[in-house]
Amino acid sequence: MRVALLSVIAIGLIAAAPSRDRALKIMHERHEGMETIGDANKVLRRELAGSSPNLGAVRSSAAGIANLSRKASGWFPKGTGRELGKTGAKPEIWQNWPDFTGKLHNFQGAAKAFDAAAKSGNLNTIKARYADLGGTCKACHDKYRAEMHH
Amino acid sequence: MPVRLVHWLLAGLIAFSWWSVHNHHTDWHIWSGCAILTLLLFRLLWGFVGSSTARFSSFVRGPGAVLRYLRGGWSGIGHTPLGAVSVIALFLAVAVQVGLGLFSEDEDGLYLGPLARLINPDTSDKIRDIHETWFNVLLGLIVLHVGAIIFYRFLGKHLTKPMITGRAALDPGVAPMRRGKWWVALICLAVAVGVTRWIIGGAPPFSS
Repeated sequence: MRVALLSVIAIGLIAAAPSRDRALKIMHERHEGMETIGDANKVLRRELAGSSPNLGAVRSSAAGIANLSRKASGWFPKGTGRELGKTGAKPEIWQNWPDFTGKLHNFQGAAKAFDAAAKSGNLNTIKARYADLGGTCKACHDKYRAEMHH
Repeated sequence: MPVRLVHWLLAGLIAFSWWSVHNHHTDWHIWSGCAILTLLLFRLLWGFVGSSTARFSSFVRGPGAVLRYLRGGWSGIGHTPLGAVSVIALFLAVAVQVGLGLFSEDEDGLYLGPLARLINPDTSDKIRDIHETWFNVLLGLIVLHVGAIIFYRFLGKHLTKPMITGRAALDPGVAPMRRGKWWVALICLAVAVGVTRWIIGGAPPFSS
């Protein structure tokens, strides 16, 4: 667990900032990825709020979020902040890198746990893990995401 | 008294709604919006069965009356015809904002308005965008409202104090206000709370 965390931090610090084109591409992928996570979450929220959630939809959304959460490790290299273009990623991310990566790691863990819960089919566990997951989204966004107006 | 309470609670709740959503307390924002809904419902009912000055029939007038008022030909108690326009405009603007909010969800889908479950996410997101933009309309009306009160102050009409104490000097020949009945107010409140609770519950039978 600590090895994974340290390696994420190391990668972030050691990796050279990508070229401008590559950075813009990463920012675009990040934006699309986050929107896809959001869309999956909106489906989940409605399913889990209903009286008989569609387990197929829950599982598919959970797997999608878990998959994208792993990709997120590569979405925040240096040089992909506001200095390059319009983004909700605040400069605080790179000013507080250990704290940010800690929160990112929490998100990845929660997404993995939720994916496992969805596969198990136990509704109580699913709802509990889902609440945990939402908490990790909010913890990072409250501090590191700026309001964006499309 | 109910009119004054509704007015100041509304002002406070609108401010709180704005502050809470911009400071990552979307859950408080939704509760605040539901409280505003209750106040609006109460004021709507009270406007039909409340005190004489609270009733819409006593102050809502057509454009002719507004013009006559502006030419100095109005005397009465409570809201002037122009004031009545302001009341209706603000009431409707707040009602629209609350209505939009009921169906909105936040950007991440972590917070759903009470009725957002009834519609698909894309529509809910679009409604949220309108909810955000509509606040500017509401804000404009509020600025106009406060500006008008300040303007009247320079004309020698002190309007804030009666809105707090409920007492004002009457023009000669004008009948004083007839109070509403307290038990009627309680019934209106109970109905307002009941309808709000039904909406918070997802407005069954529209949602399972």
